[in-house]
Amino acid sequence: MEAEAAKLIGAGLAMIGAIGAGAGIGVVTSGAVQAMSRNPEMTGTIQTNMILGIAFAEAVAIYCLVVSLLILFVF
Amino acid sequence: MKRVWARWVVLAAIILGLFLFTGFFGIGLGIKPIMPHVYLPGEKLSETPLFGIAGLYPTNTLVGLLLADIVVILIAIGVSRGVKSGKTVLTGISGAVEALLEMLHGITEGTAGKWTKQIFPWFATITLLVLAANWSGLIPGNETVGLIHHYDHGYDLKQVGPITTIWDEGTDDGEHHGEYAIVPFLRPVSTDLNFTFALAIVAVVMIQVFGFRSQGLGYLTKFWNTKTLFSKPIFGVIDFGVGILELVSEISKVLSFAFRLFGNMFAGAVLLFVIGSLVPVFAQSMFYLLEFFIGLIQAIVFGMLTMVFMSQATQGHGEHHEEAH
Amino acid sequence: MEALGVNLPFLLVQIVNLIIVYTVITKWIVGPIMGLLEKRRETISKGLEDARVAAEARANAEKEAAKIIADAQAEASKVVREATERAESAGKDVRAAAEAEAAKAREAAMAEAELERNRILGDLRGQVAALAIAAANKLVGEALDEKKQRALIDEFFSGVKSGKVVVVGESLSGDAAEVTSALPLTSEEQDVVKKNISAKEYAFKVDPSIMGGLVIKVGDKVLDASVAGKLEGLRSTLK
Repeated sequence: MEAEAAKLIGAGLAMIGAIGAGAGIGVVTSGAVQAMSRNPEMTGTIQTNMILGIAFAEAVAIYCLVVSLLILFVF
Repeated sequence: MKRVWARWVVLAAIILGLFLFTGFFGIGLGIKPIMPHVYLPGEKLSETPLFGIAGLYPTNTLVGLLLADIVVILIAIGVSRGVKSGKTVLTGISGAVEALLEMLHGITEGTAGKWTKQIFPWFATITLLVLAANWSGLIPGNETVGLIHHYDHGYDLKQVGPITTIWDEGTDDGEHHGEYAIVPFLRPVSTDLNFTFALAIVAVVMIQVFGFRSQGLGYLTKFWNTKTLFSKPIFGVIDFGVGILELVSEISKVLSFAFRLFGNMFAGAVLLFVIGSLVPVFAQSMFYLLEFFIGLIQAIVFGMLTMVFMSQATQGHGEHHEEAH
Repeated sequence: MEALGVNLPFLLVQIVNLIIVYTVITKWIVGPIMGLLEKRRETISKGLEDARVAAEARANAEKEAAKIIADAQAEASKVVREATERAESAGKDVRAAAEAEAAKAREAAMAEAELERNRILGDLRGQVAALAIAAANKLVGEALDEKKQRALIDEFFSGVKSGKVVVVGESLSGDAAEVTSALPLTSEEQDVVKKNISAKEYAFKVDPSIMGGLVIKVGDKVLDASVAGKLEGLRSTLK
């Protein structure tokens, strides 16, 4: 196998990790929306925490992306 | 009537795009959009180092940084002038900045409590600077207007009126035959890891500073927890291990901060020109809206995470642990 | 790291830049805006305070106004009452005066009418006597002595005959005497009546309905010597 082809495959495989991040963001948002609909007065606090949670979950996808980009463009 | 006018502009732009980029009905120009070369570090605009410092070249991300700085300074001038003029409500861009900062201040007050006054400037600084940097990536012409330089796997040159451009002749075998590529003048500074690392390092250092300011040297017990090591044999060891992990997590915070912002913005930029090269008309506009939103969200997330970590540091996790046991 | 484009000079430049931006933002954006927020908060609380004070003042003013209105109403009703009273008393006075005036006028008119009637009846007396004589002449067929007849008629009408009231058997006396005749009495006849009836006051009345004779009322005694009375007595006896 050519090195170039292996790099492309590797970059694609690296992005599999984004699945987890997507599921995680979904779970966070679903919980937050439920909480907000049950307790609308707490919307501000819940939104803040939701964005934090999404940021943490998204970080995983970003790591995958960075690895993928590294494979593609750096190595 | 205003709406109708906007609709006609959009329609005209779509028709113009179709005319330029497709060969539809034989009258189009059939220009092939070229995907810019994806290049991770900032690209050098000149080979002579700035101020004679080795390794410090004038890169296009530095131009982006200057642009972001200028925007921030203009906002600062506008706000301070507006406030000095005695107005109680700011208008225009300063008014928008004021509304944003008021919202952020509300969040900070809810989280940081009595440390709001010290923490909030960092939150505001990071948010405003990152916002300016992110949105500078939405200016038309960045990534596409720049210097032409020699590149082995590039494209041909073509003179279109007064403009020299790289041109894809569109050979069928998919091979590029030219030897030129573009170094854009402007690239958003948040696609440069130096910027995000600088922000992350400063943020994490300031988190420690706030920890020391609020708890003195006792803050160190968060990382080197030997208090319970001998009094409670098993839990003491676990506490010590947790302290070490806290130290690791501080370092991982730097990486996490840096790569989150960089990854989001760099991926956004790549997404924009990949979409632009695949579907040159209309589709990219939608992703522009997405990038606009992501730029705002990432700016607020970076600032908010910094703020939350800072207020956690001031509230003293070590004491909390002691209470729990 | 080199492949990622991270190198120390760039990093330092970015950190220095960040510190500069931090200073700029803290001094010229966050500071003024926080001042602005503080000012606005103060303005709002001051506005609320002002509004509260104004509301209080308004409430006081309303109370004051209500009091003033109540006072004014009381004053007005008092004035109205006084005016009504005064008007009523004035009206009463006027009415009383008018009534007195009217009574006076009526009395005067009545007296005059009485006088006039008496005078007319006095005038009539002569003619009635003449007519009666003429009628009697016709009936009797012979002419009576004119003088005698006249005396007879006079007696019939006045109940006074040759210096004496015919009906009076015994002497009547009392405080006030009221003498009613069918036709007005002459002053001589009145003198005769006065002579016969001793009373402090005399009142002479004329009532044609008694036809003739006299009705003399002295104190609580009534002496009916009238033709009508006689006829009435006759009628009651015939019944």
